[in-house]
Amino acid sequence: MKINQIAIVAAALLFSVISCKKETIDDKVFQVDNVNLYSSASSKLKEKTESQWIAVVYTNIFQQALSASDIYRAGQCITSIGDKELAREVIISNFMNSTAPAPAIPSNADMRNDIDKFVKEAYERFLIRRPTEGEKQYFRNEITNDPLRSAEIVYFSFALSNEYLFY
Amino acid sequence: MKRREFLKKATLTTAGAFVAPYILPSGRLFAPTGSQIAPHVVLVMYAGGIRNQETVDQMYLTQSQYSWNPDPSINVPGNIMPNMLAGAAPASKVVYGTGPGGNNPIAPILSTPLQSQGVLFKEVNAVAAGHYGGSIALLQGNTNLSQPLLDRPKTPTIFEFLRKHGGYKATDTWFLGNSLGNSVPLYNHSDDENYGAKYGANMFIPGVTFGSQGDKFLKDAKVYHPQNELSPMYKMKYFLDNSYESLTQNNVLDVVGNTEAEKAQIKAFMKNMFLKKQAGQVLLPPSAGAGADAKAVGYACEVMKEFTPALTVIKIDGPDACHADFTAYLRAIHQSDHAVGFLWDYIQTQIPAMAGNTIMIATPDCGRNLNPNPILDTENNFRAYDHSDANTRRVFTLMAGATIGNNPDKATAPLSSSSPLNTDAAITVGHILGIEGDMLASGYLHGNSQSLIRKL
Repeated sequence: MKINQIAIVAAALLFSVISCKKETIDDKVFQVDNVNLYSSASSKLKEKTESQWIAVVYTNIFQQALSASDIYRAGQCITSIGDKELAREVIISNFMNSTAPAPAIPSNADMRNDIDKFVKEAYERFLIRRPTEGEKQYFRNEITNDPLRSAEIVYFSFALSNEYLFY
Repeated sequence: MKRREFLKKATLTTAGAFVAPYILPSGRLFAPTGSQIAPHVVLVMYAGGIRNQETVDQMYLTQSQYSWNPDPSINVPGNIMPNMLAGAAPASKVVYGTGPGGNNPIAPILSTPLQSQGVLFKEVNAVAAGHYGGSIALLQGNTNLSQPLLDRPKTPTIFEFLRKHGGYKATDTWFLGNSLGNSVPLYNHSDDENYGAKYGANMFIPGVTFGSQGDKFLKDAKVYHPQNELSPMYKMKYFLDNSYESLTQNNVLDVVGNTEAEKAQIKAFMKNMFLKKQAGQVLLPPSAGAGADAKAVGYACEVMKEFTPALTVIKIDGPDACHADFTAYLRAIHQSDHAVGFLWDYIQTQIPAMAGNTIMIATPDCGRNLNPNPILDTENNFRAYDHSDANTRRVFTLMAGATIGNNPDKATAPLSSSSPLNTDAAITVGHILGIEGDMLASGYLHGNSQSLIRKL
């Protein structure tokens, strides 16, 4: 083989190695900003709108997003009822009764196997902060002392809390 | 202790026990100073802008169309509100009824019109030329109408007066609205810092609460065991709220303040309404079809049957079609009259706790113009009317029931300074329910406010 031919083949091989490749989604790294937990409840000063509350509570309970049109319609339900707290309670009850999708709530067994972990995760999921020692102790006692206390009921209380109305 | 000293202390202690203030659940120190005239009031915010010409003046087409089009066939006076007003129906050119062309008037529900059972104030001066200002005036009892749309009333509503000064509980006061539009869902309380949400009324906008939105997000609410589930849930919620209490003081939260027992009753009521709706058992005024006004009235009947409130306020506004369709306006007035008749009949025949001891007040938010706008409706070429001129201030108030009795009409000249104001609706309700003195002393009412009962 002549030197020229060898050079051409080598160049072709080199080109094929370093040439452009089709970009795929796997090449991308989508960076999500870290969410800083609140240091305490007192950091939250802005009240959520009805739509914001609906969007967040749905996501927290189901671990998936609600469509924009349904956020709007659920918000209308709250607007249509005079006692907003009662409206929110009925909506949460409605979510808890859903089968498709089903609420993403830890089982009662999981909750009781590691109550501290469950409480910490509930605070982080709903209130975006860690519980104080006093709060951990309170929920530890509540769950330990009441065999009927379910994870669903605990989650319900977080979703209905006043702190959950603020961010 | 000497006998004289003992007697002195005992006397002082006994006297003190009688004089010491009693703290009511509402937080007030004393029971209301006035006595009730009746235990229940229903205030119908009757229709979205209606002219006295087509209502109490019973001029039908004569002063609305014939004035602008001298066609003898439309020179027809007559009464199109047979449940509320006494008077003969139009003799011809009937277009306000049902069926093709609206030729079939709806048969009256009441054998005796409310005017003949109570009293009609034929000329009442509306303080605002718009629906929002007019509605707010009825609830606030004043002319503080500078607040924009989509904002709450700035001074206390009649609901808040009743709850703060009368000790009425949340489920004693209800507002039933026909729409989420404009500011309607904000009428149940003001944002006055001394009153506000915690003294507000319960409210439904039935077309939404029990409409398709409610079907999706409210209907299937899980029913929790009150002791084993709900009570612990509330307990944990209250614990969580405690840690946030300092930031939610000063009336920040929009919480009407139903007790847990009241909440349970409302939730059970809602559940029952969805079941009744599914079974087609919620009675709506049949003439008004399934429209928003019909739902407001129909579900108001259900609310009254369940809660027997001290005050129920109902907002209907079908006649606002008059901006562009005069024929639709006439039909809506006729249907609204039928809805009011249905409401009154339901109270008297289906709610024993309210039959015979309820006073109903019906008054419009505002009137409409003397002169038409250029829009002709397609069905009859009738001219339409907006609301902005002096004629818009001409409205009426009809009151009947309980101790009112039949009185001669109160007829003053149009826009006379001696005519009542439509803001008098609020103090009239307060007078009937025993808080007239508290309301007058509050400093919030229009300076000329006077209960219509005192004008009888």
